[in-house]
Amino acid sequence: MGNWQRLVWNQRDALFSGLVVTVEICLIAFACAIVGGLLLCLIRMYVRPLRPVAIVLIEFFRATPILVQLLWVNYAWPALFGWPDTFFTAAWVALALQSSGYLAETFRGGIEAIPRGHREAAYSVGMRPMLVFRRIILPQVALSTAPSIVNQFTVIVKSSTLVSVITVQDLMFESQRIVNIWYEPIEMLTATAAIYIIIVFLVSTAGKALSDMLRRRFGIAAA
Amino acid sequence: MSETLQQLLDISIFWEYRTVLLRGLAVNFYVFVCAAIVALSLGLGAALLRVSRRRPLRALGTLHVEIFRNAPDYVMVVWVHFVLPLLIGTLLHTRFELNPFVSAIIALGFVYSGYFAETFRAGIEAVPIGQIEAGRSCGMSDRHILWRIVLPQVVRRMLPESINQFISLFKATTIVSLIAVPDLMYQVSMITQQEMRPLPLYTGAALVYFAVILVASYALRAASERWRNKIFA
Amino acid sequence: MSEVPTIRVVDVHKRFGSLEVLKGVSFEVHRGNVVSMIGASGSGKSTLLRCINHLETPTTGDIFIEGESLCFRGDAAGSRAPRPLSEINRMRRDLGTVFQQFNLWPHMTVLGNVIEAPNRVRGLSRKAAAQLGGECLARVHLEDKALEYPARLSGGQQQRVAIARALAMQPKVMLFDEPTSSLDPELTDEVLGVMRELAADGTTMIVVTHEMGFAREVSDRVMFLHNGLIEEEGPPDQMFGAPKSERFRQFIAKYLY
Repeated sequence: MGNWQRLVWNQRDALFSGLVVTVEICLIAFACAIVGGLLLCLIRMYVRPLRPVAIVLIEFFRATPILVQLLWVNYAWPALFGWPDTFFTAAWVALALQSSGYLAETFRGGIEAIPRGHREAAYSVGMRPMLVFRRIILPQVALSTAPSIVNQFTVIVKSSTLVSVITVQDLMFESQRIVNIWYEPIEMLTATAAIYIIIVFLVSTAGKALSDMLRRRFGIAAA
Repeated sequence: MSETLQQLLDISIFWEYRTVLLRGLAVNFYVFVCAAIVALSLGLGAALLRVSRRRPLRALGTLHVEIFRNAPDYVMVVWVHFVLPLLIGTLLHTRFELNPFVSAIIALGFVYSGYFAETFRAGIEAVPIGQIEAGRSCGMSDRHILWRIVLPQVVRRMLPESINQFISLFKATTIVSLIAVPDLMYQVSMITQQEMRPLPLYTGAALVYFAVILVASYALRAASERWRNKIFA
Repeated sequence: MSEVPTIRVVDVHKRFGSLEVLKGVSFEVHRGNVVSMIGASGSGKSTLLRCINHLETPTTGDIFIEGESLCFRGDAAGSRAPRPLSEINRMRRDLGTVFQQFNLWPHMTVLGNVIEAPNRVRGLSRKAAAQLGGECLARVHLEDKALEYPARLSGGQQQRVAIARALAMQPKVMLFDEPTSSLDPELTDEVLGVMRELAADGTTMIVVTHEMGFAREVSDRVMFLHNGLIEEEGPPDQMFGAPKSERFRQFIAKYLY
C-alpha cells in the first residue's frame, strides 16, 4: 500500500494536470468532429459537384489508423499547410479528423432512416426545404444518432492516449513520465489504466442509458 | 509550395526502402492474425460465460467485457509490456521478460476479445430458441447444439459487424510500433529519423494503410454479404 | 388393453411462478393412435406437449414412454432420482417433435436438417443417414428440394421438412405443436395432407391443433383442455356430435361460425 501512496497518490497533481489536458483535447476534438462530420455528410448527400471529394475524405479518415493520422498531421501538415503550429493543436486535429469521418457516416445513416413521408408531410403544409431540414430532419437525426455520437466520444478518449507520443502532456504522458523517474511501473500504469477504463466505462454507460431513454420516450431505435 | 508538392510527390524514397517497408507491413499482418486468434477465442469464451445459466459465470463474463471493451488499446499495450512481466516475475521469483511481439499480441488480443464477446453474444441470442429446442427434441446434447446449430449461424450473422472489428484491430496493430515491434509505422519512423523527410514518408505511410484497409474492407464486405445472403435471404 | 401404452401421462402439474398452467393431467396414448388436443390459447395444451418431450420439466407428475419414466430414474432400492439430461436426451430420440415455427436450422440444407440427428445423434453413417433422409423427404413429397436451403422454401414446405426431420429419428411417437398455426391458410392443406398420410400409415401421433376439421376427421380420440385440465375427451364423432360440457360447446361454436 505504501508503494501506491508514494507512486500514485503523491503524484496526483501531475496526474490531474494530465487529465485536464486529456479532457480538453477530447472535448475540442469531439466538438470539431461533430461539426466536421455534419459538414462532410451534408456535402456528400446534397452538394453534387463536391460529392467525390467528401467520399474520399470520409473513407480516408475512417480507413487510416489513428496513430498514422496523428503522426501525419503532426509531421506532414506543417510542411504542407504551415499548420498546426503546436503539438496540442495537431493532437486534437488528428482526433477530430478520424471521428468526423465516422460521424459523417452515422449522420448519413440517421438522415436516410427518416421515412420519406415525414418530408412529404412537411412540404405539403408548405414548409421550405431549409425549414424542413432544420425543424424536421435535424432534430430526429440528433435523437437517433445521439447514442452513436456518445459512443464516438469513447473512441476519442481511447485514441487520445496516443497524443503522448507527440509529447502532448496528457494523462498517459504524465503517467509515463513519472514511471521513468523511478522505473517502478506496476502501480502507476495500473492506476492509469484503471482511470481510463473507468472514464470510458462511465461515458459508455451514459450512452447506453441515453439510448434506452430515447427508445422509451420516442420509440427511437439507435442508429 | 511547389517545392513541398514536389517533395510530397517524390515517392522514390518509398521505393528505395521498399523491402524494409514491406517487411514492416508483413509484421502488421502477422500481429493482426495472431491477435485476432487470441481475441476470437477469448471473445467466444467470454460470450459463453455471459449467456451461461449460472450467475457468477455471467458476472465474470461481464467483467471481462467491461474491462477490455473500455480499455484504450495503447494503455493496454504499455501495461502488458511493462507491468505484466514484473507481476509474473514476482510470482515466479525470477526475472521475466516479454518479447514485444508477445506483449502486443496479448494486449490487442485481450482488448478486442471484449468487442468480439459482445458480437458473439448478440449472435448467440439472435438464434431463435425454437431451433435449440428442435435440437433437444432430436436428442442432441447441449454441446452438439452449440457447435452444430448455434455457432455456425453465429459466425454467419456476426460477419458484417466483425469485419469492422477486424479492421479496427488491424488499424490498432500500428500501435505496436511504440513498443518497438518493427512494423511499417516503426520502419517509417526510423527512416524519417535518418532521412529527415517526414512529409513524403508519413504521407506515404498513411496512403499505404488507407489503400490496404480500404481494399480489404470492400473485398471482405462483398464476400461476406454473398455468403450470408445464401442463408438469411 | 394389456399392452404397455406408448405414452402415459400421470397427474402432470406445471407451475410458472404463481401461475399454474397444468393442474393434474393424466391420459394414455396407445400404439397407432392419433390423439388431438384442442382448447383455447392459454388452456395449457402446448405446455402439456412441451412437458411430454421434457422441454418443460413438470412441477409434479411423470410421463412414461413405453413404461419408462421420463422424469425419474428408479434404482433397485426403489428410490427415485431426477433423470440426468444425457438420459433424457436418449429418451427424446423416441419422440419426434414438429413445432409451430418450423425451427429449421437455416445454415443447413434441407437434407442436412433431416440427417443431422440420425447421423450425429444415432450414429448412422452419412450414407445410411442420407438414404434414410431421402426416404423421409419422399414421405413429405420434397425429395426434389433436398439440396435447397430452408430460406428458399415456402412455409408449408418448411413445415414438411420439419416433419421429415422428426420422422428421420424413427420415433415411437410424433408430437405436433400447432403445426399449421403460423402458415397462410392456402398452405395449411399440404401440411395437413402429409399428416393424414402419416396417420393412415399407423404413426402414433399427438397433435395440438386449432384445425377442428382435421381433429374430427383424423383423430382416434380428441381431448379438450380448459384451464389446465382435460375438460372433455372421447372419440371425435361423439365429441363433436354430442358435446357434453357447456364450455366445449361454446368453444366449437366459435370455430364453426
